[in-house]
Amino acid sequence: MSLAHKGRWITLVGLVCLAGVYVRALAFTPVERLQGPAQKIFYLHVPAALWTEAAMILVGLAGIFYLFLKDPRLDRFAAASAEVGTVFATIVLTTGPIWGKPIWGTWWTWDARLTSTLFLFFLYVGYLLVRGAVRDPRLRARYAAVLGICGLCLVPFIHLSVFLFRTLHPQPIIVKPSAPSLPGSMLATWLFSLAAFTLLYVGFVTQRYALSLARDAQQGEHADHA
Amino acid sequence: MPDVPQNAGYMVAAYIVTAVILLIYAISLHRRTAKP
Amino acid sequence: MGDLLAQAWAVARKDLVLEFRTRTALVSAVVFTALVLTVFNFGRDPTAVPTVDLAPTILWVTFTFAAMLALNRAFQLELENQALEGLLVSPLSRTGLYWGKLVANLVFVAVVEAVGLPLFVLFFDVPVGRVLVPLVGVIALATLGFVAVGTLFSALVIRTRFAELLLVVILLPFLVPPLIGAVQVTARLLGGRPLSESVGYLKLLAAYDIVFVSLASFLFRFTVDE
Repeated sequence: MSLAHKGRWITLVGLVCLAGVYVRALAFTPVERLQGPAQKIFYLHVPAALWTEAAMILVGLAGIFYLFLKDPRLDRFAAASAEVGTVFATIVLTTGPIWGKPIWGTWWTWDARLTSTLFLFFLYVGYLLVRGAVRDPRLRARYAAVLGICGLCLVPFIHLSVFLFRTLHPQPIIVKPSAPSLPGSMLATWLFSLAAFTLLYVGFVTQRYALSLARDAQQGEHADHA
Repeated sequence: MPDVPQNAGYMVAAYIVTAVILLIYAISLHRRTAKP
Repeated sequence: MGDLLAQAWAVARKDLVLEFRTRTALVSAVVFTALVLTVFNFGRDPTAVPTVDLAPTILWVTFTFAAMLALNRAFQLELENQALEGLLVSPLSRTGLYWGKLVANLVFVAVVEAVGLPLFVLFFDVPVGRVLVPLVGVIALATLGFVAVGTLFSALVIRTRFAELLLVVILLPFLVPPLIGAVQVTARLLGGRPLSESVGYLKLLAAYDIVFVSLASFLFRFTVDE
């Protein structure tokens, strides 16, 4: 089974899993008393946010290893993780305001998670733009690695600045959107969702990686003919 | 005890948006990786 | 080490001499700063919002624009004269080259800030006298952060399409932590708050500078070498 094929299967399983999460979250998980049904957005929003950040960390790590090992597989992986991370960031940035409006009364607040994800989104866009702007694959891989590593190092600073900003500027939050300790049924739904998003990340990255592989192989053929 | 807020509309919207984004991306990848 | 410093100084001096000889870029940046401040001045209603609340943001937006101008002109010079190729062929260490560029950019931005700050005090009538030393300190810390990353990215975009646009886009997320720190500390200083209240942000600025100056200096070689 080719890589793309494997990727498709994993993605399919992930989507089926997600459908299961939908059913469980919408029909079989209790409604949170203070926030109401809108709280259930949490089951999609938080796993997506976790993977948005994890994907960026992996892009950065792949970059570090690439600069030392020069293995193009690492670069392909980085490109794949960045694209998938961007998709997940989009999910966080759309579900976040949809959740925020009924809970906080406003579409946007400088909530720690939303703000961090917004900057991760900008990092991803910049990274993908740089990749798109460089023709030569080796040069592109090197530049992408440099940017990816810088992005990785920026992540803790984004968290730190948001943390400082929020602790020294208390926001009037009536309800804390992410309950620190979830009752059993809610925790199970959340974990199930995390598993679904993990499968989706792996499936998507595998397919995207296969795409890079195919493109590189094609370019290799053209180079031979040239 | 205050009533549970009636905001299910937002929940539905978010769940639909997420599904749409993921499905669009999945289809996009599927098509891009299909053998020509 | 002495070698490195000598090399850095040689590069910096070349850039600075070029700069001060023509003076066009410097004059443009200074005029631009004055313009931005003037526009902000006319844009606000002093009876609605006290100046001292807006002042830090205005100051830092202006300084950020000035830093962006400096970085853009830095590699315009390179592009026009293809000086980069010449420098790379010379027996100059990559790190020395980076430090040279960094110093030149810093001097340029410092001159613009040195003109901008008095203009700012003049237009906005903010009480700067008592806090001048810490204020200059904060300005120095934040500027070092922007320019360190910006110098690295300038080298990165130089061989890409849409280089100037790309530079701004990829730099943006990296400006946020130093900007948050700078605006918050400036606000507290101008508001007469004791320095102890700004310690968290000052640590943020210092940590950012240490991490990114080292990182940029190390990664620079990958943006210019095979």
